[in-house]
Amino acid sequence: MKEVNNTYKSQKLIKIFLKYDEANNTIHSIAITGDFFIHPEERIDKLEADLAGARLDRDSIINVIEKSLSGSEIFGFNSQSMADAILGCLNK
Amino acid sequence: MSLKFDKIRVLETGYNQASWNMALDEALLNKMDDTPVLRLYGWRPPAVSIGYFQNMDQEVNVDRCKHCGIDVVRRMTGGGAVFHDSELTYSFLTKKYPQSIIESYELICDAIIIAINKLGFVSKFSPLNDITINGRKVSGNAQTRKKNTLLQHGTILLNANIDEMFSVLKVPSEKLRDKMITDVKQRITVLDKTFDEVAAALKAGFSEKFDARLVMDKLGEEEEADTKNLVREKYATHQWNWKR
Repeated sequence: MKEVNNTYKSQKLIKIFLKYDEANNTIHSIAITGDFFIHPEERIDKLEADLAGARLDRDSIINVIEKSLSGSEIFGFNSQSMADAILGCLNK
Repeated sequence: MSLKFDKIRVLETGYNQASWNMALDEALLNKMDDTPVLRLYGWRPPAVSIGYFQNMDQEVNVDRCKHCGIDVVRRMTGGGAVFHDSELTYSFLTKKYPQSIIESYELICDAIIIAINKLGFVSKFSPLNDITINGRKVSGNAQTRKKNTLLQHGTILLNANIDEMFSVLKVPSEKLRDKMITDVKQRITVLDKTFDEVAAALKAGFSEKFDARLVMDKLGEEEEADTKNLVREKYATHQWNWKR
């Protein structure tokens, strides 16, 4: 298990703390913090839970984010920039 | 966008600790009736509030806050970390509001803009959630929606101690500290008015924007009790403030 983090500037700042399984290239767990807005706020917990187990490739991550946050309103990032923030951890 | 209210309940709750300030907002939200509430308040001791999605240790120099007697608290709203010192803070709660988040920010910020302009400035809405004078931020705002109620709270800068602010907020690197202080000094502005002058203007601004009469009121016993419970069970706890 590898632990990495990344700070990514979208319209707002996104900070990612990622634990991932290098062998399977999947997310073990993730913490997403920052000065963005999600309405309702509690959806961030669902997003973090839904991302656990996701494959660390852009399409898979975007797919999870869009499904997980469907019906909520977001300011400060979109599914693409959140995926970039997460995958940016791998370059650290 | 226009919206009219028959009346607005006004609560001037003075200067209080951070946990009490945030607990009262939630206590009011939990027991809202159809009359909107405008609350005006300050922070003593000074405080840092972080947004709902932020991590306390990433954003705040907690040891420095403890040393200086500065409170720390997590808000129920998103957005960034705020150092609350020389400012007036307001909360506005309503059950009638536009569903569009941008429209609702603009609607409520309009009342603040009217207030600031009454004090001799030319301010404007800067989406998503700021108010600026000559392009420089004077007010930041954040909102949440729960139990069919919109809560928007925000700050209006009366003065600013940027150096102290940066002693309690963490910066990405010490090398950037001086540049960030210079940048922030250029990006914000202050009203240089008293709390009471701005409070009077805000009351007039909300009354004018919503064509509402103001009803000056005090907290009820139940609201006081609910607030104390929320301080004890939530806003003064490590579990909430270090939740993320």
